[in-house]
Amino acid sequence: MSDMLLFKDIDEPGLNTLSVYEARGGYASLRKALATTPEQVLEQLEASGLRGRGGAGFQMGKKVSFLPKGQMSKYLVCNADESEPGTFKDRELMQKNPHVLIEGIAIAAYAAGADRSFIYIRGEYVLQADVLDAALVEAREAGYIGDRVLDSEHSLSLVIHRGAGAYICGEETGLLDSLEGKRGNPRLKPPFPANQGLYQGPTLINNVETLSTVPTIIAMGGEQYAKIGVESSTGTKLVSISGHIQRPGNYEIELGIPSREIIYGLAGGPPEGSEIKCWFPGGSSSPVLLPDDLDVPYDFDSMAKAGSMLGSGAIIVVDDSTPIVDLALKVAKFYRHESCGKCTPCREGTNWTVKMLERIDSGEATPMDLDIMASVQDHIIGNCLCVLGDAMAMPIGSMIAKFRAEFEQHIEMARAREEATLVGAAVGVGAATAGSTH
Amino acid sequence: MPRPAPNTITFTIDGREVQAPENSMLVDAAKHGDVEIPVFCYEPKLGNPVGACRMCLVEIEGIGKLQTGCSTPVKDGMVVNTQSDRVKEAQRSVVEFLLINHPLDCPVCDKGGECPLQDITFGWGGGISRFIEPKRHFVKPLELSPKIAIDRERCILCYRCVRFSQEIAEDYQLVLLERGAHSFVSTFDGHPYVAPFSGNIIELCPVGALTSRSYRFRARPWDIEDAGTVCTLCPAQCNVSLTVRDERVLRVLSRQNDDVDDGWLCDHGRFAYPALAQGEGPSETGSSTVKVLQGNPAAAANGDARGIRVGMRVSRPLLRDGGELRPVSWERAIEEAAVMLGRSGAKTAALAGDGATNEEGFLLSRLLGETLGSPHIDSRPSGTLAPELQRELAEPRLQAKVSDLEFAHGVLLLDCDPLLDAPILDLRLRKGVRRHGMKLERVSGEDFGAVRETAKRLADVGEEVVIVWGERFAAGADGAGRVRSLLDLAAELSLGETDGAGLLEIPATSNGRGLREAGVLPNGGPGFSEREQDGLDARAIADALAGGELSALYLFEVDPLSDGDPFAAAAGARADVETGEGSASWARGMERASAVVAHATLLSAGLAEHANVIFPAGSYAEKEGTVTHPDGRLQRVRQAVAEAGDTRPGWRVIAELSLRLGTDLDVYDAKEASQQLFDAVPFYAEMTLDEIGGRGVRWQEREETVAVGNAVLPQQMEPSAEAHSGPDRDTHAADNDTEGEHSTTGELPHADDGENEGEGRR
Amino acid sequence: MTTVPRLPGSTRASGWDEPADLTKDPALIPDPATTDVPAELRKQIEDAMALYPERHSAAIPALHAAQELHGWCSPEAIEQVACVMQVTPAYLDSVASFYDMLEKQPVGRHSVYVCTNISCSLRGADALLATLQEATEGDGDFNLRSFECLGACDLAPMASVDGVYVGPLELSDVPQLLDDTRAGRPVLPEKQLATKLVADPNANSQEFPRHAPEDGKR
Repeated sequence: MSDMLLFKDIDEPGLNTLSVYEARGGYASLRKALATTPEQVLEQLEASGLRGRGGAGFQMGKKVSFLPKGQMSKYLVCNADESEPGTFKDRELMQKNPHVLIEGIAIAAYAAGADRSFIYIRGEYVLQADVLDAALVEAREAGYIGDRVLDSEHSLSLVIHRGAGAYICGEETGLLDSLEGKRGNPRLKPPFPANQGLYQGPTLINNVETLSTVPTIIAMGGEQYAKIGVESSTGTKLVSISGHIQRPGNYEIELGIPSREIIYGLAGGPPEGSEIKCWFPGGSSSPVLLPDDLDVPYDFDSMAKAGSMLGSGAIIVVDDSTPIVDLALKVAKFYRHESCGKCTPCREGTNWTVKMLERIDSGEATPMDLDIMASVQDHIIGNCLCVLGDAMAMPIGSMIAKFRAEFEQHIEMARAREEATLVGAAVGVGAATAGSTH
Repeated sequence: MPRPAPNTITFTIDGREVQAPENSMLVDAAKHGDVEIPVFCYEPKLGNPVGACRMCLVEIEGIGKLQTGCSTPVKDGMVVNTQSDRVKEAQRSVVEFLLINHPLDCPVCDKGGECPLQDITFGWGGGISRFIEPKRHFVKPLELSPKIAIDRERCILCYRCVRFSQEIAEDYQLVLLERGAHSFVSTFDGHPYVAPFSGNIIELCPVGALTSRSYRFRARPWDIEDAGTVCTLCPAQCNVSLTVRDERVLRVLSRQNDDVDDGWLCDHGRFAYPALAQGEGPSETGSSTVKVLQGNPAAAANGDARGIRVGMRVSRPLLRDGGELRPVSWERAIEEAAVMLGRSGAKTAALAGDGATNEEGFLLSRLLGETLGSPHIDSRPSGTLAPELQRELAEPRLQAKVSDLEFAHGVLLLDCDPLLDAPILDLRLRKGVRRHGMKLERVSGEDFGAVRETAKRLADVGEEVVIVWGERFAAGADGAGRVRSLLDLAAELSLGETDGAGLLEIPATSNGRGLREAGVLPNGGPGFSEREQDGLDARAIADALAGGELSALYLFEVDPLSDGDPFAAAAGARADVETGEGSASWARGMERASAVVAHATLLSAGLAEHANVIFPAGSYAEKEGTVTHPDGRLQRVRQAVAEAGDTRPGWRVIAELSLRLGTDLDVYDAKEASQQLFDAVPFYAEMTLDEIGGRGVRWQEREETVAVGNAVLPQQMEPSAEAHSGPDRDTHAADNDTEGEHSTTGELPHADDGENEGEGRR
Repeated sequence: MTTVPRLPGSTRASGWDEPADLTKDPALIPDPATTDVPAELRKQIEDAMALYPERHSAAIPALHAAQELHGWCSPEAIEQVACVMQVTPAYLDSVASFYDMLEKQPVGRHSVYVCTNISCSLRGADALLATLQEATEGDGDFNLRSFECLGACDLAPMASVDGVYVGPLELSDVPQLLDDTRAGRPVLPEKQLATKLVADPNANSQEFPRHAPEDGKR
């Protein structure tokens, strides 16, 4: 029971092929699931307490149970549009163990009563999509996907759909619109996808890591799985760690271990001679935490209590050599670029925030602008159609709150620099081009 | 399909209890308590809310985050606050966000004064902006189409226009390009947005980003007046609001009436008006689909070089003198016309066409019958139908209404193309298909077997079937037979007994239904009453004129020789299929007629060639009267501007002419004309102009009417199945195992005054 | 077209200043009878459409295929896709312009996406991009772009070269990266993502770090 759950034999050569996967006991969970009723599978999922690994952390079993019962076209969509900055765990899983995802999809679809499934994989993941394509061919031939899966009454089709580069398609309803062939604009909720999702049909949407965990849960039993981790955050979690860190990469941890253990124990801490200035515990959308927060247990609720979030489980470590304004500008520009433009606060708020940060950086701001910027973040949070606006406003807001002195210092220094330049020139220096460089 | 029939619930808004329909969106429900929640993107006409602008955020007790009022259905007991500090701050912030990139060029913006963004900024905005960065600047305005200019600086990306193109008109030409703050409204690769309903996006735009190129800078909201009326350019009779400045119509806007037009206008109705009023020649609306009242350029060359040419507005009475039409005084024109008509007497025939109101048609029929003693009057370009068929078709329960097109299980388009015949119905049908999964079939009336088959296939899907048929279905020698089959089919499918099912005829002329009901028929008086003597129908009139049996022709806004006129079109169609004559017989008839007296708005080719007297006729914006929608809705046409030049109202001209000929029609104003009409048509009984009001009244739905209509149309109240005998009836009975249903349809009282007793059964 | 002078800091996007050309016809669904579509492309699009319950879902795969063939989503390419899918070209244009990987302007045939998001820029992505920009200046073969997070922060700084992830890149890798790409060789083989093992020292059958103190992995 102490073996890795997701990363067991992950680097074994050929694990991406069906023969090796089967030799390791692959697809046994699907057989086991099909031998029981969908309700029983759902019970296991609910008992496991598995929370979604994509960012929102919603209980997977509950999500499945929200789908209406009865005969109708239902869909399962795997969200493989992994694009939260700092996150690359799904990439590792899909590339190295595609069959565990396919098996997880097959089991979850059985529990949800879905007969059509899709993997929406971000278009940049060419290698991983190719691996999945090959695995799907094998899985189909072996009867794990297709009409009457393993001679049961359950049928399931699976399509691997490659995206084309848009962060917002990681938002579940934006993903649905994109999968329907439209612009990836998030939809108004309600209705929730469980009732009206893909093609207006009931739809279950789960992240790659979540679905890849399902075979393990079926194999070991939901209750056993729930014993791993802490009460409200069961199981293991893949953590992507990057930035100013000695050993960046993916690590599988039990939820609830101290964050310090991941950052220092596993990933080796920041490079020699530098100190952590701040860190994102759950991707760039999570409010930054300080070195003081390193002992916060790494699980959903503890992170929320600490004023941030576990998000997608991506830790980005920023050391003390990085100006906070640079970091804020990077974050804000990313969200401006990725805002779909549908709702006002996000579209205009991200744009405005970037412009204000650029002024701060170029010495055209006063400390009063920090108040305006903080208030703009407040006006974005909670007022948008989806969470993208909040995803910028929360980290930017946290940076202003936690590093206000540095912002003010930056403003003063930039102004002094600017004034010195202006002594010789009557005309102002052009600000950085605001248009995206992308 | 079931219509929405919401319960009324009670909820609390800003501390007051308010009753509203359950599940209506908070924005709408709030209006029941006189609370306005500001919106930009919300427009129920466009379908489901998108919640994009975030202007309508409200606080709902029990829900942590602010919710969008446009997408939250109201529930019983809900407690809503639109005045809390949180809500106000959110509203101010959304306005501030929107104004970041919106230029403050209101003083030079065409929308200024009637701009929702302006109003909401004043009403809900913070009054200041903290945005000091440079704003966006683009070239402006740019052409989006020949009719529409786009100003992208002003666009607040509310999605209304693109939703219209994509989800209402379904032409999918107008889209958003790029993403995020870079998004902008555009078309593919610089193609113009040209579509039959494109003009609606101007009205939908809540800022000055989409403006009408023809209206730009013509007026300010404070120097215009709005005049509500009905567009009579086609049978759809959309409700419009005319923007009037200095006695000129500068703009046509929709005056939403869900029972008629659903709040949309076609581009012809929206943009054709100036051409109509000023005779500026052919209109370019982008919608070549509607009858365009326009001149023939070839004929224009032959026109009088000194005076009026084909396509120009007739604004003074014209008299042919020495082969040329010359302006004359009204006295002279009426005198001359009276002499000619008096000479012709009972050998006079009359046609009433597109622009004629019910009152004008009614008075025209009186002029012919009472003053001249002639029964030869017609308003059906496709030929007449036997009175009993007309009465059966007018049967109230068989009559489908516009909203049925949306909710029916199936609609059959029979010899009818909505986009050409009554464009706005095209949008209603699309709505039915899109929102309610209505099945739509098109079929030609050539082969009635196929019609029956298709109709039955639709009826298998659901019992509510509407057959929309064009007047041309009844054209030709076997027209009556086809109409008989159609009525039998309707009986077989129980269309009369099924709510939401029925027949809807699209007449060939704009007010075809009203003119028939007013008695502009050779074989029926007002209300399809019996005539002492039947007259000739349009086709026979042409032949009789050519043959010399008739000598004078009175054309009320008709020119059977002008392209685009329904009478010309019907004659032309007839030429192909039957005798090879048709328009040729009209040419001969008009040539041979001793006198052609006409009422016309624009000078048309046939009149330029043959008319002896032309009275100027008002455009619909200059008229007062009523028209009747194809589904039986009487609507008021209201005078919005003074008559052009020397134009006099049609009712007055007819009355004066009649008086000059020795018969006083007793009409001294438009209201009296309406009253006479209401008195004469039994099923319009006790109708008043006030009752018709701004939204119109379907006479079938009036209590007074049913009682009177029953007396006048005795057989119509019978179950239609019983009106027939033989196999039809058997089929009908076989198709419906609950024979008892039929008896319920007979619940209306039978005729008890003897007047029409003989007509009871066939 | 006149260009409106821009204040520093104000934004603009291509297309904002473009009017409609009133001499053109409206862009309706292309008529299959008059639109030439290469057979291979038609087949790819039709195959894609067959995968989904609703043909519109094939929009992105179809545009990818058209871009592969034409080099970018040119108006011609979009019209061809629109013809096969029986949608308006505007619909596809709207979709194409939403996604970063679909090109709305002609570009070089080799795409080099340099991730310049947080993790990569913390480790020198901006300098890498600048070096690459300098090295490919005026070379029409390269479509060099800074890209948002490509999901390979463990390789930071990294790039996706014609879809192949390579990293961590040193500035000194730039010449070989470009040479390999030009020559059609596998790019920087030893730096490709495909060759990397999981960083987790405990992975591959080892125990995962437990939160109970006695299980702590230090």
